[in-house]
Amino acid sequence: MSSDVRLLELEDLRKWFEIRRGFLSSKTNYVKAVDGVSFSLDEGKAVSLVGESGSGKTTLGKTIIRLYEPNSGRIIFQGKDVTHIRANELKWYRRMTGLVQQDPFGAFASHFTIFRSLEEPLLIHNTVKSKEERAERIFKALEEVRLTPVEDFAYKYPHMLSGGQLQRVAIARAIILEPKLIVADEPVSMLDASVRIEILTLLRRLQERLRLGVIYITHDLATTRFFSEWALIMYAGHVMEKASTQEVLRNPLHPYTRALLTATPEPNPENRNRFKEVPPGEPPALIDPPKSCRFSPRCPHAFDKCFKEEPPEFEAASGHWVKCWLYGRS
Amino acid sequence: MSRSKHAGGFRNALKEVFSYKSALIGIAILLLLVCLSIYTIITIPLPEAIHAWRSSEIWSKNPRNAQPEWIEIFYGKKLPRTIIVSSKGINASETPLEDGKRAFSLILFFNYDYEDFPPEIIVFFNSSYSEKLTIDVYWIRPDGEEIRLKRHTLRRPDDKLYLSNDLGLELQLERLVESKIGKANFTVTVERGLFMEYSKTLRVLKGRYGIRFESVLNAGDTLEAEVVVYGLVYGLAGTDHLRRPLIIGLLWGTPIAMSFGLAASILTTVLSLIIGTISGWYGGVIDSVIQRATEINAVLPFLPILILLTTFYRIDIFVILLSIILLNIFSLGIKSTRILVMQIKSYPYIEAAQAYGASNLRLILLYVIPKIMPPVVPAMISSVPGFVFLEAALSFLGLGDPFLPTWGKIINDAYTHGALYKGFYYWILEPAFLLILCSVSFALIGIALERTVNPKLKEL
Ligand SMILES: Nc1ncnc2c1ncn2[C@@H]1O[C@H](COP(=O)(O)OP(=O)(O)O)[C@@H](O)[C@H]1O
Ligand code: SF4
Ligand SMILES: [Mg+2]
Repeated sequence: MSSDVRLLELEDLRKWFEIRRGFLSSKTNYVKAVDGVSFSLDEGKAVSLVGESGSGKTTLGKTIIRLYEPNSGRIIFQGKDVTHIRANELKWYRRMTGLVQQDPFGAFASHFTIFRSLEEPLLIHNTVKSKEERAERIFKALEEVRLTPVEDFAYKYPHMLSGGQLQRVAIARAIILEPKLIVADEPVSMLDASVRIEILTLLRRLQERLRLGVIYITHDLATTRFFSEWALIMYAGHVMEKASTQEVLRNPLHPYTRALLTATPEPNPENRNRFKEVPPGEPPALIDPPKSCRFSPRCPHAFDKCFKEEPPEFEAASGHWVKCWLYGRS
Repeated sequence: MSRSKHAGGFRNALKEVFSYKSALIGIAILLLLVCLSIYTIITIPLPEAIHAWRSSEIWSKNPRNAQPEWIEIFYGKKLPRTIIVSSKGINASETPLEDGKRAFSLILFFNYDYEDFPPEIIVFFNSSYSEKLTIDVYWIRPDGEEIRLKRHTLRRPDDKLYLSNDLGLELQLERLVESKIGKANFTVTVERGLFMEYSKTLRVLKGRYGIRFESVLNAGDTLEAEVVVYGLVYGLAGTDHLRRPLIIGLLWGTPIAMSFGLAASILTTVLSLIIGTISGWYGGVIDSVIQRATEINAVLPFLPILILLTTFYRIDIFVILLSIILLNIFSLGIKSTRILVMQIKSYPYIEAAQAYGASNLRLILLYVIPKIMPPVVPAMISSVPGFVFLEAALSFLGLGDPFLPTWGKIINDAYTHGALYKGFYYWILEPAFLLILCSVSFALIGIALERTVNPKLKEL
């Protein structure tokens, strides 16, 4: 297993947003959007972050690439603690990480051509000195994302491209600095169903070829099987279940994960594990949540302990972690 | 937003601007003014212009408050131009007398074909004498009649003889006229007496006039004379109370007004844009400070402060520009910029740029400002006339730059010297016309730009 080089490690990571109640109130409340997340990712591997809207996936993604600074916990990248780095070190980290956002239409400055947009990272990091080399890199990146002939796209403005094409440009921009880690935040959820698979295939191929670590954020569990080695199920700022994607899909243990997956077998195996977007009930408010299992208000299996104490992560099977009292050995 | 029409639409926007007739007119006027400015700067260098504008000597042979030549169209008759006849190159007859003295006699002839009387006649002498030089001056009319005008003793070598202001001469001529035509029903001024036809109706006698100087020179004495018969009209723009050709002031006023207006509007717009952007981008304490500053600025009385400043400090055009900018940059426009910036800051492309390492400065300059600039440009162009008028107004109030010839200063001169009361309308109308021309051109362009940037205005 020579390829198993640790790329990223999160240790009990927390990102709380401060909110002020009222104008003169000195009391500050926190939205505990990411509240104690730990996991690790090897080089060239992909992990899916799955959960319904508001569960903190985006916040976690942005914290990992340090668009947000964590309130506590640690981020170790290539063995280096990047939790609170600044200035030049942070700039280095920006080069080592990339971001693909959900909305391709908003992801580009409308007054820049595609070429100019792709040139920006190169100019900022000054990794490529001459104009010719920059052009070469930009054209190569456009080829990587199959926007050919490249000249047809390079000098267009964002509004002249379709959503799928723009998302390809966004991927090109994310890889142009040859990063080691990419956060793809629901990269296909705003695209036409017809191009989703194409974009995901592209991302997957690039990940394998460039040995990229990818954090793939989605609310569509079906696409994770197709994409990633690992799956993390998030709920209300917590990781509820964590295992290989296959394991999670074949053997979901957490009541929340099970609620996400419809039990009824479908004739089409492709659709068997369709993600149900809205499980019964409401996710809890993340402003000062109670000390309990965060799923307890909606959990059909909840018992006394669930309402009193937050469950730790139990290793229910080898490499399969579940944050639920049902799997506690006590 | 992502499908904003500004994207690469600069050329299209220009094309659209050119499609408005009003904009074309504005651009044409602007080009004209720009050409005029360039011509002025090249042909009359500024130090020369300032020197000329501030010295009165060099204009002594110009008429005072002469109207522009083209004014004749309205009068329907040929108005007198200034005639200058010099003794240079003309041989005076000198006959030797005893003791080395010489009898000196010089006649200067000139044609007078105008249909109105000159306002003023002055003889400029240039002489050197040992004791005293007395000159007899005679007037020769086209019909050959000769009138003895005066005996004049030079008070200094470059003495002048003001024929017009001579009451004695006026009286003499009045009597002469009375002897010819009886009592005249008009006042006989010196000029009328000299140039009129001897008839009951006041009319100029056209033809060749002469003026003769007789004197006795001591040995070594020299005498030269130059007769200036001042005109009623002068050049393209006329002259002012100090005989200065207004054209110099009007011409130089053009680049000054335009560059002042543009500099003030561009600098205030860009600076308040930057301040508003900083306010919206950084938020927090910086934002609060800037917000309070704009609120205080909004209640400060602008003009009184400017007047106060200009009375306390040595004023020149740059001090005025600086004060106007400082008093304008914390304008209320900052509030809308700030809100716009806060909105843009939340766009995904900003976050994307942060993710690839763009610094705050880069984000502000390359990502935010180009976004908020387009709607500001029309307002910026439209604000030029305001600043042009402001400078003129300050000049008019006597608070302008004391050295530069500006339109406002010309209007101020005209006003303080009673131009309207005396009927010197050209004196006020010329700078006012240029002021309006300049303003209209910027306003027309500004309005057209506004329409291209803000499609809702298109139907108007
Ligand atoms: N900048 C912010 N300030 C305050 N609250 C935030 C901010 N960003 C996200 N949140 C809150 O954090 C929670 C998680 O949001 P998010 O990470 O966007 O979830 P997801 O991506 O899973 O939909 C939500 O309740 C959201 O309202
Ligand atoms: S801990 Fe209790 S409430 Fe939470 S998921 Fe497990 S059983 Fe349900
Ligand atoms: Mg999200």
